[in-house]
Amino acid sequence: MRARIEMELDDTPGQLVKVLDPISKYGANIQNVVHKREELTPLGKVPVTVILEVTEKERLDKILEEVKKVGARITRVGEQEKAVKAVMLLVGKIIETDIRDSVERLNKIDGAKISDLTLAFGDSEGKSSARVIIWATTQDSLQKAVSKLKEVAKEKDLLIIEPLEGFE
Amino acid sequence: MKISLIGFGNLGQGLTKVLDEKRNYLKEKSGVQLDIVSVVDSGGAVVNEEGIDIGELSEASGSEDSVSEIMEDGELGTSALEVVKNVDSDIMVELTPTSIEDGEPGLTHITEAMNRGKHVVTANKGPLVVAFDELKELEESSGLEFKYSATVGGAIPVLGLAESQMSGDSISEIQGVLNGTTNYILTRMTEENVPFDVVLSEAQELGIAEEDPTLDIEGIDTAAKMTILANSLLDRSVKLEDVDVEGITRIGQEVTQLAKDSGNEVRLVGIASSEKLEVSPKLVPSDNPLVVQGSLNSVTLKTDLAREMTITGFGAGPRETSSALLGDIVDIYKSVEG
Repeated sequence: MRARIEMELDDTPGQLVKVLDPISKYGANIQNVVHKREELTPLGKVPVTVILEVTEKERLDKILEEVKKVGARITRVGEQEKAVKAVMLLVGKIIETDIRDSVERLNKIDGAKISDLTLAFGDSEGKSSARVIIWATTQDSLQKAVSKLKEVAKEKDLLIIEPLEGFE
Repeated sequence: MKISLIGFGNLGQGLTKVLDEKRNYLKEKSGVQLDIVSVVDSGGAVVNEEGIDIGELSEASGSEDSVSEIMEDGELGTSALEVVKNVDSDIMVELTPTSIEDGEPGLTHITEAMNRGKHVVTANKGPLVVAFDELKELEESSGLEFKYSATVGGAIPVLGLAESQMSGDSISEIQGVLNGTTNYILTRMTEENVPFDVVLSEAQELGIAEEDPTLDIEGIDTAAKMTILANSLLDRSVKLEDVDVEGITRIGQEVTQLAKDSGNEVRLVGIASSEKLEVSPKLVPSDNPLVVQGSLNSVTLKTDLAREMTITGFGAGPRETSSALLGDIVDIYKSVEG
């Protein structure tokens, strides 16, 4: 899951490192850090936004707890708190079976979007494979998108390779 | 204890060699004396109720000819079924070739042996995927022991681990990488980025894949093993035809590379739970313990107490499989004599 954590730190040296430490300690993948020293709050704090990816909710809770301990004030755990992602492979005649149509049908699902599509060509004619990454705002949207992808794959005789443990 | 060996192919010969090699070890460690009183292959039988010379029998391995032609008191033309019916022994070790269609001839051998009061040890998946419930009922009503550790994962003691050491755990799901041939192919495609057919012929040259690899690469061998695991450990009542199977024949090298670039590997995984029973290629994170290399096997049990338990080992080979067969034989000895 992807989380967006907004917080306020004291405007003294070393504060940011103190906050990032527990994040990496609990194995989160930091995707973005915005540190706005020029936008101090009325109380003189520095607003910081961290976007990170964690494998499970428990880790995120642990991180939030530790971040609070080192003195940060968490103002918001953002809208992407529940953002979930699915990585899947598709095998078959991806291009010949109208890849554009496949993508469009998936993107029609509310709250889900294909964020990455990587194509690779096989050794026999017409055979291609794709790695698809879908991000969704809720588990429910993700399930809908995955079901849609399965429906499209079945129709177009594509093999889907799913993650062993389902979707994050 | 008197052992009747039914089938003298790779596994039968491997077990004979191990019994020869470990005679003293078994006697000293477990107090077991094992005598082979009969051995039979498709050409005939050798019977000696006092015990066949295991050293001589071990030397007879590797020949193209029937054991009944090589050994001195061989009986050409005597069938396995005749031996099962007529030779007195404590344990029948059934190692004839597997048929997943009807389980024969193993199924008849096992039934006849138990009907005659013999314990049974087998490495033959066929009888278990077509008649698991019937065989279990027969075991129960006869009060005999029927053991088949060698049917799943070769040397990996997954059945024993779950049934005895972890007998207090409820298992919710089993995930298994249980076919050495497909795992070898997928590993090589991932590492070397070479096409499927090139790796397959390489595996055939090395003797890892069979001349006709259909059962392996189409996922049927894994499905048979998952059927046995689901019946034994999840209390299900399923047959081979109940498994949703997708093999690895559609997986090209580009698929393994796409997986690799995202920190995953493609593995042929069998999954069994109270709702699921399937075999298909899955995207598995590279650091998951199920991602084993080459022809290794690996099984993960998800349970309420231990949470997750993964065991890895050699899933095939006559010597490795003998580890499971011998374990079952010694287990029977201990429960009968002990």
